Amino acid sequence: MSLLEVEGLNTYYEDSHILFDVALKVERHEVVALLGRNGAGKSTTLKSLMGVVTPRTGSIRFDGQEIAGQKSHAIARAGMQLVHEDRRIFGSLNVEENIMLAGLTAQNRWPLERVYATFPRLKERRGSRGTDLSGGEQQMLAIARALVREPKLLLLDEPFEGLAPVIVQNLLTTCRKLADEGQTILLVEQNISAAMLLADRAYIINNGHIVETHTAQALRDQPEVLHRHLGV
Amino acid sequence: MINWANFISQCFNGLVLGALLALIASGLTIIYGTLGVLNLAHGAMFMLGGYAGWLTYTYTGSFVAAVIAGALFVMLVGVVMERVVIRYFYTRPHEDQLLVTFGISIVFVETIRFFFGSLSKAVPPPAPLVGITPLGFMFYPTYRLALLGIVAVALLALYLVLYRSRIGMIVRAGIEDSVMVDSLGIDVYKIFMLVFGIGAMAAGFAGIVNAPVVSIAPDIGEGILVQTFVVVVIGGVGSFPGAVLGGLIAGEIISITSMFNPGYSYVMLFVAMTLVLVLRPYGLLGTAGRE
Amino acid sequence: MRQVMRRPGSFAIELLTALGLIAAPLILPYLGFTPTTINRILVWGLFGIGFDILFGFTGLLSFGQSAFFGTGGMVAAYLLTVVNYPDVITALFIGMIVAGIVGFLIGLIALRRTGIYFAMITVAIAEVFYFVEFNPLSEYTGGENGLPGVPTPVLSLGFTHIRFDNDRSLYVFLAFWFFVGMVIALRIVRSPVGVILSAIRDNPLRASAVGHNVHGYKLTAFVVAAAYAGFAGGLLGVMQGFMPPDAFTFDTSGQLVMQTAIGGAGTLFGPLVGAAVWLYLSDFLQTTLQLGATWKLVLGLIFVLLVCFLRRGLIGGLKDLYVLIAERSTKTSEPAELAPLPALTPEEEKVTRLALAKEPAPAPMPALHRQDDDAYSGPILQATSLSKRFGGLVANSNIDFTVARGERRGIIGPNGAGKTTFFRMLTCEMAPTSGRIVFRGRDITGLNVTDVCQLGLTKSYQVNQLFSGLTVRDNVIIAALAELRGKFRLDMFRSLRRIPGLDEQVDHTLALVDLTGRADRPVAALAYGEKRRLEVGLALASSPSLLLLDEPLAGMSPAERIEMVKLLKSIGQGRTMIIIDHDMDSLFELVERVTVLQEGRVLVEGTPAEIKGNKAVQDAYLGGVRAA
Repeated sequence: MSLLEVEGLNTYYEDSHILFDVALKVERHEVVALLGRNGAGKSTTLKSLMGVVTPRTGSIRFDGQEIAGQKSHAIARAGMQLVHEDRRIFGSLNVEENIMLAGLTAQNRWPLERVYATFPRLKERRGSRGTDLSGGEQQMLAIARALVREPKLLLLDEPFEGLAPVIVQNLLTTCRKLADEGQTILLVEQNISAAMLLADRAYIINNGHIVETHTAQALRDQPEVLHRHLGV
Repeated sequence: MINWANFISQCFNGLVLGALLALIASGLTIIYGTLGVLNLAHGAMFMLGGYAGWLTYTYTGSFVAAVIAGALFVMLVGVVMERVVIRYFYTRPHEDQLLVTFGISIVFVETIRFFFGSLSKAVPPPAPLVGITPLGFMFYPTYRLALLGIVAVALLALYLVLYRSRIGMIVRAGIEDSVMVDSLGIDVYKIFMLVFGIGAMAAGFAGIVNAPVVSIAPDIGEGILVQTFVVVVIGGVGSFPGAVLGGLIAGEIISITSMFNPGYSYVMLFVAMTLVLVLRPYGLLGTAGRE
Repeated sequence: MRQVMRRPGSFAIELLTALGLIAAPLILPYLGFTPTTINRILVWGLFGIGFDILFGFTGLLSFGQSAFFGTGGMVAAYLLTVVNYPDVITALFIGMIVAGIVGFLIGLIALRRTGIYFAMITVAIAEVFYFVEFNPLSEYTGGENGLPGVPTPVLSLGFTHIRFDNDRSLYVFLAFWFFVGMVIALRIVRSPVGVILSAIRDNPLRASAVGHNVHGYKLTAFVVAAAYAGFAGGLLGVMQGFMPPDAFTFDTSGQLVMQTAIGGAGTLFGPLVGAAVWLYLSDFLQTTLQLGATWKLVLGLIFVLLVCFLRRGLIGGLKDLYVLIAERSTKTSEPAELAPLPALTPEEEKVTRLALAKEPAPAPMPALHRQDDDAYSGPILQATSLSKRFGGLVANSNIDFTVARGERRGIIGPNGAGKTTFFRMLTCEMAPTSGRIVFRGRDITGLNVTDVCQLGLTKSYQVNQLFSGLTVRDNVIIAALAELRGKFRLDMFRSLRRIPGLDEQVDHTLALVDLTGRADRPVAALAYGEKRRLEVGLALASSPSLLLLDEPLAGMSPAERIEMVKLLKSIGQGRTMIIIDHDMDSLFELVERVTVLQEGRVLVEGTPAEIKGNKAVQDAYLGGVRAA
């Protein structure tokens, strides 16, 4: 049984039809990428999984349980965690408070030391308010917050967007390490090369439809597939 | 020539009133900041606290019991109100929220009037705090002095809860981004209920501790509501420090102008509010985007 | 949902009002209404007409109307008692004018904010006025005693005098003024100003973006409400023979709000009905049921229940019931809903699109009113060194951007390129940090959306910004009115039918976006694709010289996309357009030139073919993954 099985997912923003019968699967310990242009529906897919938006029809089976239509906090407790594309860290709280807040309702919580071991930079800035952090630090904090809850499935929405190449490299290394340690990840990215460095498999979404699915290797061997859907 | 003793006395009054307004306004502002609902029944809750306390005092003779009863009763009222009515209005337009909380305030006021009549009732201060205290060159009512202390402690308690406790952390995060709090596994609707209760309790507590100063009547909430609004506009919506600052400013304005002409204190308050609106539209300590 | 245009010559409501007013004193006493109560109902009803224009039509909930009610009443009463001014009717009008002026001054302060802040400020206003009336000005207002001895009106007709000095004759006097007030109000809500107020209630952002001075209209509504309140206040004094101080209380404002909500906001008659219910019940509960002071508790509970369950009040509820019954009985004769578009897979869409691309372009439908100035021959839009910084974040950096007249330009770029920010600077929704924007030879940097729209630059939004409580036709009317009448015009008494060129412009726009057949449907009944077309229609209705389209294809199914592309092609003939979208295939069909943004800068510009083959662009999108 896959960790995540999505079938026939249709999501609307009011009456704007964004996702058309989206279907995908994520196995345990896999890193799966969801690739697509702007406006293709990548973010909406993750938000539908996390219950931030409620899909109109479709089934989302997570670890054997049907979660479509449930509220976010219930889905979070079931073991899924989303790192939003605009990070959404609490600016008026400091780094440590952000992390502690995240861990409050977690069954298995990462000890603070482990968080700081994974993100040493955050330890240096532990007392700083969220608003005082740089873009890269905010992204790290957003990911750390999600990891504290030891999620069975980590959803990353464009984690590398807007970051300097050095920071992207840093984050990539961290994510690679997490994946190697067994963390299951569903990653949405526009930065194809970064995504391909992490992913085992990829789905391509175009105008709200899932149009292709391939292994990472297959995509590397056939770049024209990516060109067709993601290029100009 | 200003009577300096009178002036200092009024400044003190302003401090007491200011602290009281700060407490009530804090309750209103955290409700608005977290839930997005402006509670027009907030003044009525102040009044309910006074009555619950008075009733307890009549039966027990204990001022302390009265204060506890007043605060807890209004907290309960707040929780019930949120559960039974307010939660269905989160997705409705702001005007509907205003209308329903306004209607509830009428119901509260008239219910009290039904049971207890329109005449005001006195709540005497506890025995050790009766009388006046010499303060150097002037005398000042002992209870008012104590009241300053009581309210300051209450504000401190509220501050500690908001800034040093787990639940306060959740509330502050919720004021900023309640959707994200939900994403982190915390049921925001339970938080809303709690916040409404705490905000109501602040008003109810203020109502009973202030009762020995002004005595209680069904319509005392109305004036308080207006003053609270002005405080929130001056201080900035959704900001606890703003409520405190705004409260102190408003308290001093009211007290000092009433020295010269009681009728003008409201006008001066309104002028101050207008100035803030023109110069700093989001309040002295408020942030943009909190409409 | 309200119909705005009226059939020519239909004064049914005015006629019914007159008949009702004539019949009322004959019928109501048998229902238990005392003559005094009936008179009070009229005064509250008139007071409420103005309030309903402010709240029901414009959406501004004010708890401060008692300030103007009391002001008008006190001024009139003062003139009549202390100054001994002889003519009652003139005194009433003076009171009204003073109230209106005070309303204007207060409105300047209160309307700086909206929603919650506005409500809070109006509450404060009510209290301040009460205190001022009670204390500092008590020698003029009589303080807590009010002003006694207000005379009843006398109408001298040369040979005789008509005295309105008993309940019966006072009724005639009050009913007359109520009728006048209602006729005026009906004219106002049917005028262009009235329509715009409804638009402001529905979507103030869009009302401003289609070229209306929203603040000005809000202030107008505020002053109108104050004037009605002032006149009604004067009538109160005349009716009672005494001007009470409690006209100024917050309770009075609150009662007005509750009565209006009970009767039904946005109907003009709601306050009258609400007052009838309120005053009748308060009589009934106090005297008949001997409940004493509990009447207000009962009314308060009724009010809360109504807000929870019957939000549109009694009249609104009756209207909804009527519509429900009407729909049920005419179900068979309803025109069939347009057949839904076929569901296409992306592959099918591609095939259809290629086939359609080979078809000849549809006949051009040119802009109607605004002829492009031949006097100015330069580029229609020129942005120089445009930059936008948000604190430390640089969203747009030194963008140079020029569009020639008649050009169709596309803007693309990966996420984070700054396209949306750039667009918002062009429409002046956002001010640039540095740089200049020149539109048709005129520097528009730092102007606002409304002014820019009036100059001929409009935008259709990525997320629909429609006037959702109105019909399709009304939506277009609102946009067209801004072009025909300018930013602000106080033509409250003009009928919509008498705006020259309005019908033409509206019909033309509806035809452009293919919504002629759906013109009288409410927005809520439209399919998503139709709403998107209306969205474009709103931007087109003012005959812009330059049309910006922000992701016009957002959220569309493959079939809807094809329709929209066809539509945009026909609109694009002879019109300058700039389009942002992510659907490359569709976009490249529509535009002649493409600007590619990346990380806030212009990467490259060229024809669609050039862009497709450009290596740097491919890299920007694919992040280094090269084609074989």
